[in-house]
Amino acid sequence: MKNKILIMILLLSAIFLLNAQVNHHGFVRTYIGALTEQDGEYSVLQNTFDWKLDYGKGDVALFINPVFDYNSFNNNLDITLRQVYMDIYFENFDLRIGKQQIIWGKADGVFITDIISPRDLSEFILPDFYEIRIGTNAFKFDYYIGDATFEVVWIPTFQPTITPRKGSIWYKNMLDFPIPISYYDQMYDVENKLSESELACKFSYLGSSIDFELMTAYMWDDNPAVHIFPQPDSTVHIKPEYHRLPLVGASFSKAVGGAIVRGEGAYYFDKRFSAEDLSVNAVKEKDYIHYLIGYDHNWFGMNVSFQYIQEYILDYEDDIRNDEFSSTTTFLIREDFLRETLHFEFFTYYGINNQDALIRPRISYEFADGFDFQLGANIFVGDEGNFGQYDENDMIYIKVRYYF
Amino acid sequence: MKRFIVTIMAVLIITATLAAQEITGLQIIENVYNRPTGQDQEGDLTMSLINSRGDERVREIKQFLKDFGDMEKKIMFFKSPADVRNTSFMNWSYDSEEKDDDQWIYLPALKKVKRISSDSKSDYFMGSDFTYDDLGDRHPSSDTHKLLREETIDGENCYVVESIPKEEEYMYSKTITWIIKDKWIGKKKEFYDEDEDLLKTLTVKEVEKIKDYFVITYSEMHNTQKDHKTKMVLKNVSIDSGISDNKFTERMMKRGM
Repeated sequence: MKNKILIMILLLSAIFLLNAQVNHHGFVRTYIGALTEQDGEYSVLQNTFDWKLDYGKGDVALFINPVFDYNSFNNNLDITLRQVYMDIYFENFDLRIGKQQIIWGKADGVFITDIISPRDLSEFILPDFYEIRIGTNAFKFDYYIGDATFEVVWIPTFQPTITPRKGSIWYKNMLDFPIPISYYDQMYDVENKLSESELACKFSYLGSSIDFELMTAYMWDDNPAVHIFPQPDSTVHIKPEYHRLPLVGASFSKAVGGAIVRGEGAYYFDKRFSAEDLSVNAVKEKDYIHYLIGYDHNWFGMNVSFQYIQEYILDYEDDIRNDEFSSTTTFLIREDFLRETLHFEFFTYYGINNQDALIRPRISYEFADGFDFQLGANIFVGDEGNFGQYDENDMIYIKVRYYF
Repeated sequence: MKRFIVTIMAVLIITATLAAQEITGLQIIENVYNRPTGQDQEGDLTMSLINSRGDERVREIKQFLKDFGDMEKKIMFFKSPADVRNTSFMNWSYDSEEKDDDQWIYLPALKKVKRISSDSKSDYFMGSDFTYDDLGDRHPSSDTHKLLREETIDGENCYVVESIPKEEEYMYSKTITWIIKDKWIGKKKEFYDEDEDLLKTLTVKEVEKIKDYFVITYSEMHNTQKDHKTKMVLKNVSIDSGISDNKFTERMMKRGM
């Protein structure tokens, strides 16, 4: 705790020295969540200070985004740098170097070609998406030709998805073995060297007829494949391992008769899937397609959005744990009242295969500019599947936030 | 002699009537629509939202616009309040009535530029009393115009034109506009709801002449039914300063001012 406070003082001092030339803004938030199925047991008691500092001089700019999270459960203060990078602007191209969030694609709340920044899923997908995305150390180069942009991203070191810790209400043990198991003790086996870095390219165009993106990437799968090695003593040895994941993808967005039609798809090569067959250590490599079609419309003053998402494993084998086809829909309706001070939103994911859902209604009111109070719920429906597995975790929450 | 005077008077009245009829409502609105406004313009826009209790909320925007011949591009960067800071909005509008506007919004939290539907023109802009459509240039052929009369407001001689939308579902049943005769600029505009009751009144408080162009620098929209209003002030206006075409791109939406 002492060290963290020292870091905070040093940061404040540095800002003070740069003084007026530094712009700073951000928010302070109190977030309390209670589980309705567990007699109102608190699942979140969090105070956050999200601070954004930017400084620019000529064609160079700096951005720092420290986040201070105080968790009332364990009296713990977490200090993280969500992003810290510098921008260098040239006539026709820009460079962004440092820890940064990079977001691609046209999908909302679904990750298809948006695979550059890894995710923090320690609280499933409930935090705001900009809090889910982890800043990744990268060199980003953007070259501009009229309304088109060519982007290259080089990520020198691999960073995986953050999964829920053991003991968390979001932790699920996927491996249910009736026999003793042992774990490989080194989880992150991707070495920090040039040959293990990630590379991604994107060509995008924004114009009067259509917006589109074409991308390709040579990444690591942010989630490990779980290899199972039967041992001579009838036990099993488990080794989570990260694998390369090359992919190509595209997305578009187009106005059609007053509505917006969006699409996004990616073809992943040799993605690893968990399987029953222990002769291949319970992992099979298959090509995989993930795509989405979306529709946004303003309907009687309400913003309505619908997305249909499908995942398809090519050359499917029956012992693969995932379904060959997996379909999900999302639905969003949002309306503003009282001169945009009162907002109502209803968002839902619905998993067609398992008939499970996550329903997220919320209402927020701005007492004054930048000061809002939010009341919402996360309701999990079903017995299995991405959402049904958390049926016990229905939650109501309040968030009070002040932007400065 | 008496007959001669009557004849002269009749000729004068007929001449005056013909002169008054020389210009139609459509021509007046077309003159306003085609009034030269320069190749490009930038300025700092401040919107003050005042409710019926007199409480005030302020929105600050930096805006750039440029005429590209058959289309006009506009980009807005939101400076305050803090929760919308660094958000940007871009609109491309076309001379062709057939083509809808293209609109995009950049939300810094999402870190991506999102195309949005231009079908929401009846939505109020940032909680103000101006709809997106009020802020744009409505094409003259979208309405049927009728010159009602001439009036003097604040010492300015105005044409008073009634405009009835051709589109049945349009948010206003009609508008009545007072247009300053020698400047072809609006002085006042009344908006009527679907029941033909007065909904709101736009009053132009200040017009400045900048580089031979008339620019509205202070206007006020008063919603008379809900008794709240929005003051819109444009400052630091610069016209024909040679804004680069590159200002109106995805790159600038993300990068900011």
